[in-house]
Amino acid sequence: MSSTYPSLFRSEEMSLVQLYIPSEVAHDTVSELAEMGNFQFKDLNPSLTSFQRPFTPRLRRLAESSRRLRLFRSQITGLTPTLGIPPLSAVPPFTTVGPRAQNAYDELEDKLKEHERRLADMNKSWEELGKRKSELEEKRWVLRETAGFFNEAEHRHTEIRTSFDEGDNAPLLEHAAEYGNLPGDTGFSGFDLEFVSGTIERTRMPTFERILWRVLRGNLYMNYSEIEEAFVDPISGKETHKDVFIIFAHGEELLSKIRKVAESMGGTLYNIDSSQDKRADALREVSARLEDVESILYNMGQTRRVELSKIAEMLEGWTDAVRREEEIFKTLNLLSYDQSRKTLVAEGWCPSRDITAIQLGLRRAMDTAGTSVPAILSELRTHQTPPTFHRTNKFTEGFQTLIDSYGIATYQEVNPGLFAVITFPFLFAVMFGDIGHGILMFLTAAAMIWWEKPIAKNGVNENLETFFFGRYLIVLMGAFSVYTGLMYNDIFSKSLHLFQSGWEWPRGETGLVLAERTGHIYPFGLDPGWHGADNSLIFNNSYKMKLSIILGVIHMTFAICLQVPNHIHFKKPLNIYAEFIPQILFFHSIFGYLVVCIIYKWSVDWSQSPTGPPGLLNMLIYMFLSPGTIADGTPLFPGQAFIQVVLLLIALVCVPWMLCLKPYVLWKEHNRIKGQGYSGIGGQENGRASTSEHIDEEEEEVGMAVAESTDDDHPFEMGDIVVHQVIHTIEFCLGCISNTASYLRLWALSLAHAQLSEVLWDMTIALALEYEGGVIGGGIFLFLMFGGWFVGTIGILCTMEGLSAFLHALRLHWVEANGKHYMAGGYAFTPLSFATLGAEEE
Amino acid sequence: MTFFHVVVVGAIIAAIAAVAWFITPKGKNQTLLRTSALMTLTCCYLMWAITYLAQLNPLITPRRSDLRAEY
Repeated sequence: MSSTYPSLFRSEEMSLVQLYIPSEVAHDTVSELAEMGNFQFKDLNPSLTSFQRPFTPRLRRLAESSRRLRLFRSQITGLTPTLGIPPLSAVPPFTTVGPRAQNAYDELEDKLKEHERRLADMNKSWEELGKRKSELEEKRWVLRETAGFFNEAEHRHTEIRTSFDEGDNAPLLEHAAEYGNLPGDTGFSGFDLEFVSGTIERTRMPTFERILWRVLRGNLYMNYSEIEEAFVDPISGKETHKDVFIIFAHGEELLSKIRKVAESMGGTLYNIDSSQDKRADALREVSARLEDVESILYNMGQTRRVELSKIAEMLEGWTDAVRREEEIFKTLNLLSYDQSRKTLVAEGWCPSRDITAIQLGLRRAMDTAGTSVPAILSELRTHQTPPTFHRTNKFTEGFQTLIDSYGIATYQEVNPGLFAVITFPFLFAVMFGDIGHGILMFLTAAAMIWWEKPIAKNGVNENLETFFFGRYLIVLMGAFSVYTGLMYNDIFSKSLHLFQSGWEWPRGETGLVLAERTGHIYPFGLDPGWHGADNSLIFNNSYKMKLSIILGVIHMTFAICLQVPNHIHFKKPLNIYAEFIPQILFFHSIFGYLVVCIIYKWSVDWSQSPTGPPGLLNMLIYMFLSPGTIADGTPLFPGQAFIQVVLLLIALVCVPWMLCLKPYVLWKEHNRIKGQGYSGIGGQENGRASTSEHIDEEEEEVGMAVAESTDDDHPFEMGDIVVHQVIHTIEFCLGCISNTASYLRLWALSLAHAQLSEVLWDMTIALALEYEGGVIGGGIFLFLMFGGWFVGTIGILCTMEGLSAFLHALRLHWVEANGKHYMAGGYAFTPLSFATLGAEEE
Repeated sequence: MTFFHVVVVGAIIAAIAAVAWFITPKGKNQTLLRTSALMTLTCCYLMWAITYLAQLNPLITPRRSDLRAEY
């Protein structure tokens, strides 16, 4: 592996680096490093709480500014009609670095404060006026609606009276008439019932009614109607629906009770007069006042809009600047700060490859700050495990994410992400093999890649973002699907007839027909002669099952072999002959043998053979159950029984080999070291803590500080090692069997995919093609059926089946392949970077 | 004899792989390009070889009962 260029094979070599930064360039240095985005700062004051850190007051002011900016943003986006916020690129740049940056930020803070105060004033009066307006509106509604009630009541009262008048034969009334005090004369004509009217939220209406009914024991006449328009709260923008109510009751006491209940339920009461003229006057007055308020509100809205648009112009620039400044001061808080010596000490990880670039960056920062003292960089030797950093580009990032979501690679471990670039789309395609579906998938992803820049610029719909992120993955998945589709000879469940077929249907025969061999072998992919045959499924099953076993065994062998570069790199030759060799022997004496048998069985012409073809599954089972004999008396090849016994013995020997050798060697090594009297050397000598004081002292003496940690030394525990080895061995041996079986999902899914696409064809287009209802009817039917077929193809076969095949391919990589070699015990490199700032916020 | 085809194609693929190994330009993507080229060739060859071998000496014959007389 050349180290001149970074590669995905291993993670980048990292260095622990110390920076001595004079306090006057500190701000600009951190800014420059964040701009480059390849330095991960370590917290040098882990014992300090956030309140004790030197830049916390400053950060608090910045947090205040960013709160103001968020407030402005929410108010700007809440405006109707909407006000556009110009993007960052259109805003004049804000000075974030250099000697004047500090002033600029102070000015910005004042400016934001001033804007906030003005806006707050405006919002306050806006709110008050809005409240007035909605009160007036409510009153208008009450007046209008109650007018209806009054009319109704009066109308009813006339009706009642007429019914009294007409009811001549009513004995009671007659009787009353004799006394000359008809109740209608006095009680109804004056209409002096007392009432309460107002508005209340619609949701509270039923409760309100029930409470009133209980409190007044039913002595009321209540009427209400709904206001169609919703009332909008001027500040929160929330909509509330209200009802107008009017309640007639008798007696001051009852009325006051009603008022109390209404007020306690959040209702608003409005006094209105029972006489129609006065109500009409009131309505006119209310309308006039409402008009005034509305015109004031309109003017105020305009001023507010102007103010906000002034803010909107600069908003993105300010937000970006404040975010950067916050990030810088958060980082500065991590540095150890020495007030008296005016220097800051930073420690952190960076790729060793980038150290020169970082040094140049430090020089640039010095220039921007306008001083002549640059920050000094020195490399530290360390025992700490560096973070894992894979340099990905837009092509590999999707693949690496798949692997990273299983686990971050151990530092400098072989990275399966590099191989997943091909194996993942390939295994996916084995399950998804169909030329048509592959082309659709390929074209979709290719379109995303072609219009990559415009799509990325405009932002993507949340649901499609994942697909856009994985566009290079999908394009390869599509391309490989086309290839496997050619192999399966499937295009939308139909077959291609490209070469001379190996089968021919005899002419002129009907009924059950057997194909005849032509003597050819279909050179590329599956013979189209099988397409549509009654027993094609039997052939496909056998073929695809064996295909998945062979691919699985090869894939797992590859994964086991990836252990070797790891063991060599980490200088653990013991692992090669105590783990890798027995593992590969064990695996291949069982499953490697199976693969050889499969291929051998294919290459033999069994029609010429005296014995029939043996069943390979039974052969494998009887290899274990009755070693030394051949199942069913059908040998695959001469000398088979002997070879099987040998293989079985090899497999059996491998188990104790894996189990015992490594613990034994480690134990012996430990005893040897102990015998030489070096025990405990690792435990104490490395114990110098890397506190900043120590570093400062050492730095003066040695010139180069040594930071060491104690946490990588474990005492030798024989028990742990044995238990670990036992688990590892059992896991591997059982895993070999279950993982090989697990690859059969390739067979199951590809079969399901082929069958599903055939069923879809049969149920849609095939029906339409067989339709015998004339040209026009058939045409329309075909058109409709084509629509159904197309929707089904995209929705079910490409999207849903694709997702399921994706998940299965992912599992095969995570469990079956990664489980064989991938330690995944690292932690990710998270450099300080401005580039990722915006993404985090949203 | 026909098993021979698989070997021949295998040799051709191996030759192409060797060429691909040497013509990948130096640069930061060299490892990626080499790995991808080799793995693609291997995967495609495997798939083809398995499919081809499975049809060398078929044990069963296609059978259908829906043939029409005019065919």
